Amino acid sequence: MAHARIPAPAAGIGLRAPHYAQLLERRPALAFLEVHSENFFAAGGPSLAWLERFRGLYPMSFHGVGLSLGSSEAVDAVHLAKLASLVERFEPAFVSEHVCWSSASGRHSNDLLPLPYTEEALDSFVAHVDAVQERLGRTILVENVSSYMRFGHSTIPEWEFVAEVARASGCGVLLDVNNVWVNSVNHGFDPRVFLAAIDPATVAEIHLAGFEAQESLLVDTHSRAVTGDVWSLFGEAIARMGPRPTLIEWDADIPELDVLLGEAGKAEAILDAARRGERAA
Amino acid sequence: MSGLAATQRDFIDALYSESPCAPGVAVYRRNMVANLGGALAATFPVVERLVGGAFFREAARRFLLDHPSRSGDLNDFGEGFAEFLAGYPHAKPLAYLADVARLEWACHESYQAADGGGLDIAALAGVAPEAYPRIRFSLDPAVRLVRSEHPVEAIWNANQGERDGTPDRDTGPDFVLVRRAQATVHVSAIDEAEWRFLEALAKGFTLDEASASMGEEFAARFLAEGLARYVAEGVIAGFTVAEEGA
Repeated sequence: MAHARIPAPAAGIGLRAPHYAQLLERRPALAFLEVHSENFFAAGGPSLAWLERFRGLYPMSFHGVGLSLGSSEAVDAVHLAKLASLVERFEPAFVSEHVCWSSASGRHSNDLLPLPYTEEALDSFVAHVDAVQERLGRTILVENVSSYMRFGHSTIPEWEFVAEVARASGCGVLLDVNNVWVNSVNHGFDPRVFLAAIDPATVAEIHLAGFEAQESLLVDTHSRAVTGDVWSLFGEAIARMGPRPTLIEWDADIPELDVLLGEAGKAEAILDAARRGERAA
Repeated sequence: MSGLAATQRDFIDALYSESPCAPGVAVYRRNMVANLGGALAATFPVVERLVGGAFFREAARRFLLDHPSRSGDLNDFGEGFAEFLAGYPHAKPLAYLADVARLEWACHESYQAADGGGLDIAALAGVAPEAYPRIRFSLDPAVRLVRSEHPVEAIWNANQGERDGTPDRDTGPDFVLVRRAQATVHVSAIDEAEWRFLEALAKGFTLDEASASMGEEFAARFLAEGLARYVAEGVIAGFTVAEEGA
């Protein structure tokens, strides 16, 4: 299957309804646009019509939030069929999901819930990634998530779990640097250990976002600007693995388009420095 | 049951519960209640405006405890909210509230429905007059027909955008047509007989069968005036001709 236009290793933004008209009019230079796949599961109507307009202007990335790859139960065939028809129609550059689970015994949380990192969960997760890649006829990317609790019976560090999913299934990694930072604070580990465990060759995309502090936890709300700590960690990640297509995620309290483009510009400056470093080497 | 399956079932049980839970789980419960409540508020903005944010959030919380989300697509969440409101004791003074919710769910469905092709006028002109009674018109996939004893169309339209919420009528019943045109869902009250005629078409009745239930006089008037209007509005969006004697 031919995939449209792999993005340059440069900055992109999430495509959100409040910015549709302005983006279409201004067409700022961006490496790609990313959407939540489920927002386009409609049979027809305006949302798909908007997506048709943007697909010719920018490479697209489809980021799923509801497939629940980490459930012990089989992947929801109806959800997967809707994703497959969307992917077939729009041929996005990337299709991604999360290293998490959302549903059990027919009930959905519609949230990215943490997995117990066990051999059983790993085998089940890899089998589900295999099934999805088989159905879509392409590889997908999986993203590390923020978490607010850990299971006492986990036996594998999160970073090894993510790395092993990619190794065993052949899928790519969508490295969310903000989530690495949030978890390192919430659970008390060195974020550099996480970065070092991920094979750079598997990382196809990077996410950056803002979080909020709630009581004693950092919560990945996608409602703020990227913090200084996360920019630093992003710089380190890029220095280690080279520039990658990098997304600014901002899904709640969505700001003016210029604020978002400003964040993308900051990412672009760090990516650009890494590109110059590569050429100089 | 495997260890993973049991862990996940227990976790989901804890999310869809009001019992005390560990602080880590509580973060996820709060997120879930906020996300699902937010999805309901996005789908039922007029209901939220009528009852206020705090009342709405509590109604949403109680609804989801008994009606867990069944899909990884949040757009599917909210079916059954109208029926829940109909039986919600605290909403009893607002007799029309459940029907407003039904209308909003119809709008939600209309917005996401498949794109219809529009009616082929030339093909319709080519149908022999003796075959007219056997024409079976179909409605656009984005059309919904809602009926209420209350003035729900007036209430809905009075609570759009900058409108101040004062309906221009206090009484029903309302026969409401929901359709989608130029990327927007339109809500309008129509004539009862026309609504019943469209409902008959939606059920797959031929023109002859639909006319039989409405009376010849109405059918003749509808064909002369209403049909062209509904075709132009994209409400009637296709037709087939039934086999003779079928």
